[in-house]
Amino acid sequence: MTDLLARIGHFGVFAGRVAWRVVTPPWNFGDFFRHAWIVSLRCLGPVIAVTFPFGMVIGLQGLAIFNMFGAQRLLPSLISVAVLRELSPVLASVLVAAQAGSSYAAELGSMRIKEELDATEIMAVDSLRWHVAPRVAALILACPILNTLGDVAGLAGGYTMSVLIKGEPGGVFMANLWGFTHAEDLLAGLIKTSIFGAIIGLIACYHGFYTTGGAAGVGRAVNDTVVRATLTFFAANYIITSAMFA
Amino acid sequence: MKALAWIGGLAWFGVDWARSSLSCRPPAGKTLEEAYRIGVQSLPVLLTISFFVGTNLALQGYNAFVPLGGQRLVGMFVAMAGVRELAPLIAAAMVAAKAGTEMASQIAVMRTREQIDALEVMAVNPYWFLVTPRLYGIILVMPALTLIAVFVTLVSSFLVSVFQLGLNPATFLEFARGSTRMRDIFTGEVKALVFALIICFVSCYCGFVSEKGPEGVGKATNQAVVVSCILCVTFNYLVSQVLYG
Repeated sequence: MTDLLARIGHFGVFAGRVAWRVVTPPWNFGDFFRHAWIVSLRCLGPVIAVTFPFGMVIGLQGLAIFNMFGAQRLLPSLISVAVLRELSPVLASVLVAAQAGSSYAAELGSMRIKEELDATEIMAVDSLRWHVAPRVAALILACPILNTLGDVAGLAGGYTMSVLIKGEPGGVFMANLWGFTHAEDLLAGLIKTSIFGAIIGLIACYHGFYTTGGAAGVGRAVNDTVVRATLTFFAANYIITSAMFA
Repeated sequence: MKALAWIGGLAWFGVDWARSSLSCRPPAGKTLEEAYRIGVQSLPVLLTISFFVGTNLALQGYNAFVPLGGQRLVGMFVAMAGVRELAPLIAAAMVAAKAGTEMASQIAVMRTREQIDALEVMAVNPYWFLVTPRLYGIILVMPALTLIAVFVTLVSSFLVSVFQLGLNPATFLEFARGSTRMRDIFTGEVKALVFALIICFVSCYCGFVSEKGPEGVGKATNQAVVVSCILCVTFNYLVSQVLYG
């Protein structure tokens, strides 16, 4: 128990030090843009590959329910509420944790194992500022971007299912699409995902930065990163959603 | 092109495993050990995640149905979305993140240290020795984990609906029970078996073909969880389409 508390405290100190380096100059803009670009590119395929089928599944199940009431015109409203408020932010962040978070843990972990981080420190370069801060900042920027693309893919999946496969009228779908959703829903998704991005980035870099134990240690760091980052942002999701909507 | 070659390699991996190990007796002790490890290790993670999925399902269902005036529909929404789709999928995602990444990194470390070559030199079939116990183990525990996820999701959304949102508990339960059938549970179990196969084969394959060294291990682990998630969501759609479509 005390061990767990000590780890959480250690992580808190790490998070504070990284946060300070994210907001104060000098900034490592080159690495920041490079990481943001790479993360967006590498997560783009997985995010679309996950949100599109999920949009189709909502269309399928929602149609089964609304057919009972003869209220098929409500389906697009339901799809846009579900995708914009919850599914796209959560699924995009799960994929970012799996793809970008684990690759950050692996990169920093193998830099630690090969003593590259120690070498940076010896050259009087602040490794937190140089290696960690741009990665965390890149995820804060990339997560909302991927969320927006996930929104589009999820809605496209719903459209594909209900209009192209099940043959609902396309005009009715488009007319009811924004029935219950407002610009605030999109904005809430963006705020949520940038918080998730910060959580994922900090946890991934923490595990990578303090890796021990050779190649097996890198594997363990990646494993812990994915699990703990996902757990933490799901918990944060409940709190944020309660604060924003309820 | 690379992705196609990778999928082909995965398929050959499955065929190779089936040809060399399907007819052999599985190593019973190791299978139970793996089942214990996968099941028990994933359990705390699974409980936490499904708890928060349930809470959010209730919150969002409430918000979505307030404009319709149908707060009673929350129970129905939670039961349908949770039992049919979200709980099995979340269970799979968490098992992929916890047990799948561990399989990938263990096997990749063995590849790095040339222990897999050593197995072959000793005339032990590495597919039988490494993949079989993990596969049978995950098939044993995955349906149980899915049931637990369904249960925890429903309980947590009940708690949120009653204590945070102030809905009537009897109405919630009545609508939740009215909109789930035994068939939905069975569908969840079918999905769980499909996801178990996907997670095990993808993770073991990523470990087997990983490059050597710490970067190789990290990359294999990373690839395992991303590819399993994508394939699980895709197959979730296919299974839903077949069984509900």
